[in-house]
Amino acid sequence: MTLTAKRILVADDEADVRNYLQAALEDAGFIVETAVDGLDALEKVRRHPPDLISLDLVMPRHSGAKFYRELRKDPALAKIPVLVVTGHARDEMGKVDFEEMTMSSRGIYLEKPVRPSTYVSAVCRMLGIEEALAEPEQPQDLREKIERALTGANQEALQKALDALKHS
Amino acid sequence: MDDEVRALLGPQLFDLLPLNVAVIDRDFRVVAANKNFREFFGEWSGKRCFEVCNGSAQKCANCKAEAVFEDGLARSSNETSVNREGRACFLRADLAPLRDSGGNIKYVVETTANRESGRWRREYDLLFERVPCFASIIDRDYRVVRANEKFREAFGVDGEYCYQLYKHRSSPCAHCPAALTFRDSREHVSEQAGIRRDGSPAHYIVTSSPLLRDGEVTHIIETAVDITEVRKLQAKLNQAHHYYESLIRNTTTPVVAVDCDERVRIMNPAALTLLGWHSRQLPAGKTLRNILPSTFFEPFQGVLDLAESEVRTADGSSVPVRLTAINLEWHGKCLGRAAFLQDLREIKQLEQEKLEAERLAAVGQTVAGLAHTIKNLLMGLEGGLYMVDSGLRRADAERIATGWGVLHRNFEKTTTMVKDFLSFAKGRLPEMTLTDPGSLIQDIAELYRNAARQQGVELVAENGQPAGPAPLDPVGMETCLTNLVSNGIDAATMRDTPGGRVLLRTREEGGDLIFEVADNGCGMDWDVKEKVFTTFFTTKGGKGTGLGLLTTRKIVQEHGGRMEVQSTPGEGSLFRIRLPRKRLETLAAVGEAKRQSETKQ
Repeated sequence: MTLTAKRILVADDEADVRNYLQAALEDAGFIVETAVDGLDALEKVRRHPPDLISLDLVMPRHSGAKFYRELRKDPALAKIPVLVVTGHARDEMGKVDFEEMTMSSRGIYLEKPVRPSTYVSAVCRMLGIEEALAEPEQPQDLREKIERALTGANQEALQKALDALKHS
Repeated sequence: MDDEVRALLGPQLFDLLPLNVAVIDRDFRVVAANKNFREFFGEWSGKRCFEVCNGSAQKCANCKAEAVFEDGLARSSNETSVNREGRACFLRADLAPLRDSGGNIKYVVETTANRESGRWRREYDLLFERVPCFASIIDRDYRVVRANEKFREAFGVDGEYCYQLYKHRSSPCAHCPAALTFRDSREHVSEQAGIRRDGSPAHYIVTSSPLLRDGEVTHIIETAVDITEVRKLQAKLNQAHHYYESLIRNTTTPVVAVDCDERVRIMNPAALTLLGWHSRQLPAGKTLRNILPSTFFEPFQGVLDLAESEVRTADGSSVPVRLTAINLEWHGKCLGRAAFLQDLREIKQLEQEKLEAERLAAVGQTVAGLAHTIKNLLMGLEGGLYMVDSGLRRADAERIATGWGVLHRNFEKTTTMVKDFLSFAKGRLPEMTLTDPGSLIQDIAELYRNAARQQGVELVAENGQPAGPAPLDPVGMETCLTNLVSNGIDAATMRDTPGGRVLLRTREEGGDLIFEVADNGCGMDWDVKEKVFTTFFTTKGGKGTGLGLLTTRKIVQEHGGRMEVQSTPGEGSLFRIRLPRKRLETLAAVGEAKRQSETKQ
């Protein structure tokens, strides 16, 4: 399986965020399409179903949640993994939508602000592919890698890592 | 007539006549009388006619015998007499002169017929039997010799002693009205309680009247008016009185009632406590007029309801109350007035605390919203950094420029947001000044009309006649309306067809001052409508900070009001500011008090 085969749809109403996520994914070798709101996203998904959808929750016209509900109604599209990228996951506003979405499927969410490497690695993980960044690894990427590893680590692994760092 | 008949008739006729016949001399002495006369009137020998026939010691006022002696003419008349039993009789009397051989009137012959006495007797019996009270005749041994129907029904039959019948006693009563009458021959009245034959209690007012015979009381007529029902009603009345009195005494609502002369009639314990009185008497030197509000003493119809008034307590301080008053009337006659008071001190306190709590809640929501806004800004900055970093690594000048642009924009946004937020976070109380809502919306409409027109939107102000000026913070309220109008114009430009319109309106509704901003723009669907006030939220992409409505809501809450929103996707939205006038006045009073205490310090 090659990265070039994977298509991602990025839906976010803020142009700067959209451009940023698009650049990060393209740099990692994905093909990226963008949508400015829920309705736009729904049209694009129906016309050309992507391999993964990166979704903002709060958007004009169709919100992320509404888009998600529509998506689940369509059996052909219901299995497309959705990565929620939101600033609202933990406040009153996003909570209900967010709970609905994470409980009805194996969703992953990232809370804004999100670092490029975290974002790309979450996309890769959801698609079940080995990460292969197009750009050579920089020293600062090592730190990012550790941070990423920490996000998914269990208590025991964290303790070990802490001990290793203390003894170094 | 032959001699034998005459001889037989002479001595016997006198007694055979079915009449009472008496011969009276000029001294009104009965000199002869027949058997019937004696049987009817009793012993007559040696007595005068008035003594025998009327039981009287004096000659009758209108003596017919005297007239016959004078003019020698026979007379007939209806007379009342007293028979030997002392009972009054109605008689027809015929009087004729008896002359000697010389033609002189020596005697008067009086013939009385008991013809009418039957009717008289029947009338008397009927009266005695059916009179609506207990009637009885009692002899000197306190034996009831006769009793009427009502008496018999209630107490039993004749022939027993009165104390047995009336009171189920075996000996005479201690305070016996009959005994008094027997003693002094006078009438006596007293209230008595007895027991009926069925054992139920009887209350009655008894009058004992003497029946005289030869100047001596032989019998007594007792008439007793049954007041048992009256007593029962009285007991019920007492009970009802106690019932209502207990209610008034124990209610926590202070109740004051006055009569038509403004004298205190009711002052329940709750009222005594509220007014700080120690008795129902007016405190020395006080009249109700300087305790209750003056409106209470002026004429009114129906119910007087003073939602916010004041009463003065015994120590001279004033207490805020709600006063409800009614006129007390009975069939159009004034009985006085009653006031029901409600102490508003605690409610006022709670009202202020609630306003403060709402203000703090708004602050809390703001902080949560602020965190979100910062997250979004950081997201933008993160994006910018990535573009610049990756551009530098690839020596991609175009990408560096794009990233730099993103950083610039987000820097600008941060600056704007911080400014907006600082103005939003001003934790000040609104400075309430009496403001005319009509001119407020007029000013805003004029300010924005041109800007709206440039975007193809018509801005209209509509003064729906609110009930006059209200205490508002004009600067704050202007910010609110400006935000709403600006949102409305933005929404109206997002129509699919031209003809965008924004209506700015003020009106009055049930004691609330209302401002409304309606647009015929794109409207909001349910999701957006739900979230529009919950936190920083914008559907304007990068253009808005999401602070506009939040600031608006905060100011509205600081005015003690609330915001309402109606919206239909594709048709437009309506934002409504609802300000209860009472709360505006409370806030104005609080602000005034605060300012005064600050100047004092």
